Amino acid sequence: MNRVLAAIGVAFLLVVPFVTRNPFYQHLLIMVLFWTLLGIAWNLLGGFAGQVSFGHAAFLGVGAYTTMLLYLKLGWSPWLGLILGGVVGALVALPIGFICFRLRGPYFSLATLAVAEIIRLVALNWETLTAGPTGLLITQLPALNWFGRPVNWESKLPFYYIAVALALFAMGTTWFVSRSRLGAYLLAIREDMDSAEAAGIDTTRTKVAALAISAFIAGLAGGFYGLYFRYIDPDAVFSISMSVEMVFIAVVGGIATTAGPIVGAVFLVTISEFFRERFQVGHLIFYGVLMMIVIRYMPDGIWGRLRRWLLGATTQS
Amino acid sequence: MTLLRVAHLTKDFGGLRAVSDLSFDLAQGELLGLIGPNGAGKTTAFNLMAGFIAPSTGEVELWGESIVGLKPHAVVRRGIARTFQVVKPFRKLAVLENVTLAAFLHEPSRAKAEADAARILDIVNLSSKRDSLASDLTLSEQKRLEIARALATRPKILFLDEPMGGLNPTEIEHACELVRRIRDTGVTVILVEHHMKAIMRTADRVIVLHHGVKIADAAPQEIVRHPEVIKAYLGERAG
Amino acid sequence: MATLLQSIVSGVLTGSLYAMIAVGLTIVFGVMRIINMAHGEMVMLGMFGAYWGYTLWKLDPFVSVLLWVPLMFVFGASVHRMLLRKIIPSGELNTLLYTAGLSLLIANVALFFWTGDYRTINLAYALTPARPFGISISLPLAIAFAIAILVTTALYLFLSRTDTGRAIRATAQNPDSAALMGVNVVRIDTITFALGTALAGAAGVLLAPSLYLYPTVGEILVVKCFVIVVLGGLGSVPGAIAGGVLLGLVESLGAVYVSVAYKDTIGFVLFLLVLLFRPAGLFGVGRS
Repeated sequence: MNRVLAAIGVAFLLVVPFVTRNPFYQHLLIMVLFWTLLGIAWNLLGGFAGQVSFGHAAFLGVGAYTTMLLYLKLGWSPWLGLILGGVVGALVALPIGFICFRLRGPYFSLATLAVAEIIRLVALNWETLTAGPTGLLITQLPALNWFGRPVNWESKLPFYYIAVALALFAMGTTWFVSRSRLGAYLLAIREDMDSAEAAGIDTTRTKVAALAISAFIAGLAGGFYGLYFRYIDPDAVFSISMSVEMVFIAVVGGIATTAGPIVGAVFLVTISEFFRERFQVGHLIFYGVLMMIVIRYMPDGIWGRLRRWLLGATTQS
Repeated sequence: MTLLRVAHLTKDFGGLRAVSDLSFDLAQGELLGLIGPNGAGKTTAFNLMAGFIAPSTGEVELWGESIVGLKPHAVVRRGIARTFQVVKPFRKLAVLENVTLAAFLHEPSRAKAEADAARILDIVNLSSKRDSLASDLTLSEQKRLEIARALATRPKILFLDEPMGGLNPTEIEHACELVRRIRDTGVTVILVEHHMKAIMRTADRVIVLHHGVKIADAAPQEIVRHPEVIKAYLGERAG
Repeated sequence: MATLLQSIVSGVLTGSLYAMIAVGLTIVFGVMRIINMAHGEMVMLGMFGAYWGYTLWKLDPFVSVLLWVPLMFVFGASVHRMLLRKIIPSGELNTLLYTAGLSLLIANVALFFWTGDYRTINLAYALTPARPFGISISLPLAIAFAIAILVTTALYLFLSRTDTGRAIRATAQNPDSAALMGVNVVRIDTITFALGTALAGAAGVLLAPSLYLYPTVGEILVVKCFVIVVLGGLGSVPGAIAGGVLLGLVESLGAVYVSVAYKDTIGFVLFLLVLLFRPAGLFGVGRS
């Protein structure tokens, strides 16, 4: 069942840009994929390991700044920079993890929020490195030939396919982790940390490993953000809003499921982008409402509820 | 051969001295019973030895190497596994998965870990429930699951914290048998129990704690006649 | 020397308002063990209440506070009764997420109706600051400070002298024992949450003439609030007051003597250090 859905999904993704030329829809798709990436990243830690982080924007921002700075200041290829953005995100996650994982539950969440804020403030004020509130701007992406034809960076299509590639990578990683020993350990930690220790699981190292993978993906997303929007500043990429939105996408979609973040991103981003087109402000209303509905009535998220309904329907037939 | 040496182990919680100057040796293959009235410090002693809390002073040595200060999972890796007085299974996971998680310690491949786990479920008589959720088991089954999980880490020493608690007489009978079987496979066991008959029938040697202090260390038959022990359990006037 | 004094005075004045907001958050945590992410929005609602009261009906905020406080109390009670009560049993993290949702909802509804434009209340008597002993003090801030002191004293008397106040303190210590003593814990929960909301709203009204007002101001405020509450000790009212004043001072002095840039960072670093090494707060009076 899952494989069929996955195959349909991938086929849909590859075909869809040929169906519509409207730049708004293309942008919408890219945003859905971008937030899917972030939701997946967050879910590795928050869903599988049960550690709710409110500071994931830190890794997004670090990835974005790494990519932008390597290109703008050193002239390195932005695509290499993108991957390095992920790597630096993962590296930054190590000390952050060792500090924050000493705390549990809501205290862990608050600590991650504080760490992200500290990084934002440093980015805002360390002007020699980051250009502070002025931000970084890419005016020209390097010429690239794809199978003999030059890539048109003015169109959204290349970004769409890059986003698809990143999202598939992230989904593949989650799938892999969920089947591995690491994934099993994470679920155990989420259930009962003391029992996990008693079963011989090094809970700190396991959590840090999950965080590092999570931060790598978030860093990739950050690099992508920078290249797609071509402009970043500390309040765009390190903000609490970014961190909070990631949480909402994963929780509303379905915490600890592989497809949950996808469903969450599709729902929330689509509704809010349409709302934003029409009304400009207040587009996060649905995030708030849906979170409240999910926590009250659908703790497994929209996907969790959908899946149970689908399974129930198929077993009856 | 001394497997475990505990020397002057002490734990203070603020003003309360929960364990006081506890010392004993454990030889390989022994089945040691640890008894005492409620609040005597038995579970605290377990927590200290297994790395869940740090001692105020004292030493714990496994085969001559100190294990004080190691985190619980590290103690497990060295070869000491424990069960909890109030069972803590991974409730929303299947029985087989519960044990597989512990088997992963020595067997990184899932297939082999699951095979190990299945074997151990056999030993504790839970094979028929391998696909059930841990939360669906009866108390007796959950206790056996906890033992299975501990066994899957291939321990040299197994700490059992009141495995008979809450069981009916038949279940206690089976539990005693299981403990003996485990010892017969070469695992050294320390058993904390309230149920005196169970201790009498399984333990080679018994240590009695009272208010955190060791008041007796002898074979079971001598323990029941030991004046200090009788005083501790029944009060001053009896005996 | 004058600069130092000026900084200290500014810091204490602003800090006292921070303290009021933080007290609201800490009593809710102390009694109900929940972290209310929507607390900042309660302040925001108070601010905008003051704004509309002034803009539409020419009410001075220091007068309209008498209207808004009871309204915020009722609002808080309703939120608890109708929304939170069913969520709290499902755990601390779920409640945190739920209140995060509520926070986004309130802030974005406000954004939708009032837009993100910055607004200000320009009181006629705010134009010239008072100058006692050569130190410049903003009049609205001074009045706000005075009212905050009154409110805090009233709260202290309420908690220590009245039956309901004692019931609240009992529930904070041990809800089960309190229930056994005949305390209606659910009612106390509602009252506490309503009180916390009213305090936040009141602080919002009092602060309105001194700050830029915009619907998403709650986000920064709630974060500052967490810092204060953790520094002062979770659940401790005196701790929250001390923590609030301390943060006000740190920001004020930090801006002058360290750098405008990194003044906020100091607060967060302290926050992390306390969470890690002194979870009962700087003064050791909180619960961890």
